Amino acid sequence: MSSAWVVMKRELGSFFVSPLAYVVLTAWLVWNGVVFWVLTEFYSRNAVSSGASTPLSGFFGGSALFFIPLLVFVPVLTMRLVAAEKQSGTIETLLTAPISATSVVLGKYGASLVIWCSLWVPTLIYAWIMSQHGSVDWGATTASYFGVFWLGAYFMAVGLLMSVVAPTQIIAAVLAFVTLGVLFTVGIGEFVLDGTAREVCGYLSMWGHMQSFSKGVVDTRHLVFDISVAVFAIGVSIGALKARRHG
Amino acid sequence: MIEVEALSRRYGRRFAVNDLSFRVEPGEIVGFLGPNGAGKTTTLRMLTGYLAPTSGDIRIDGIDAVSDSIRARARLGYMPEGVPLYGEMRVHEYLRHRGALKNVAKLTEAVDRSLQLAGVADARNRILGQLSKGYRQRVGLADALIADPPILILDEPTSGLDPNQVRQFRELVRSFHGEKTVLLSTHILSEVEAVCDRVIIIREGKKVADLAPGDSETSLEEVFAELTTAGPSEASS
Repeated sequence: MSSAWVVMKRELGSFFVSPLAYVVLTAWLVWNGVVFWVLTEFYSRNAVSSGASTPLSGFFGGSALFFIPLLVFVPVLTMRLVAAEKQSGTIETLLTAPISATSVVLGKYGASLVIWCSLWVPTLIYAWIMSQHGSVDWGATTASYFGVFWLGAYFMAVGLLMSVVAPTQIIAAVLAFVTLGVLFTVGIGEFVLDGTAREVCGYLSMWGHMQSFSKGVVDTRHLVFDISVAVFAIGVSIGALKARRHG
Repeated sequence: MIEVEALSRRYGRRFAVNDLSFRVEPGEIVGFLGPNGAGKTTTLRMLTGYLAPTSGDIRIDGIDAVSDSIRARARLGYMPEGVPLYGEMRVHEYLRHRGALKNVAKLTEAVDRSLQLAGVADARNRILGQLSKGYRQRVGLADALIADPPILILDEPTSGLDPNQVRQFRELVRSFHGEKTVLLSTHILSEVEAVCDRVIIIREGKKVADLAPGDSETSLEEVFAELTTAGPSEASS
């Protein structure tokens, strides 16, 4: 396990000295700053129609605006994890060191979770701003961040898997974008279809997931789904990395 | 000690390495010679666990390198061809990272020692992405040496070095004689004559010769030309 830690430290070190990190983090905050501003404007002008929801619950669960940037940023953040090592050839020194494929994958995954959290920590300022101008439902806000973490555990694992199977970073990003995009779109079926199909789509729905967390409802079905996908994607990543030796 | 028995590796229908067997005794320095595309790199990649053999056995210090790969890799220092490095790291950071991956106990001392041995102490704070080819090669060598492994596997270690650096490198490898088992691939014949106790020549994935540089009456260059050019390959040793 200590070798997973070594892999993770290097991954984070190389991410946070790269210009990519700061371009992505800045763009992310600009985008979400605009989204948050639009939502705040909306709720301040439509106090009656907005009912029980608040700018914060709207931010986390109320609109597709939450997911559109994620579908773009997650692939950009995960594409390099393993594919960059393949492109530069460092995968050879990494995999000939006396460490297991499991350690490599867990180290990379751990780094991706830290990067995910680094996207979200600055958004705590929105909650602080709201608390200065009104009341904040801290229970619901905590549940929202809790939901965001597990959503990230799911997204980053999918992105990591694509980075393991793709030969280049660009292909990894495209695969991750398409996979997450399809999963997101299938989830919208929850609002469109009937019967069993509706239930299946509801189970997959990222939007429904964040809607319930943003209201402070911790729905274990969503957690089970996130964790299952993450475990599955990590397992396949480990298998794929081991299988490379035979390729 | 390195023991290779009936090793084969197939890519599709083509054999990159075909029924290759050889031994490198403890403390011996052996050159692994062959024209481009003969299967040198594929063989070294199988020895280091980067590629799985299609068939055959590899033992590294008696450890089965196929079924017990991690333990076998812990006995090896490997310098791959072209020396891939993380461009954004500094030399000493990189060696610390590599040492940590290889479970080296006294990391700071090990980094200093390998920097000295490989002759890159003056570049310890430089960024890997900005190094010249010669420095990159020597950082790769420092990485191979950092855990003080009993076995070194070096793939074209002198490519990109200037004549002085080549001389220093050869002296260093000579100094391992009797202490470390070294297998180095090259296509520079003078290198083999200068540092190796023995040479294994392969062609089209098969061993065509296994001899000491002084064995033959003709020069190694002629032997090499004869064994690796026209005519069907024929195993001899």
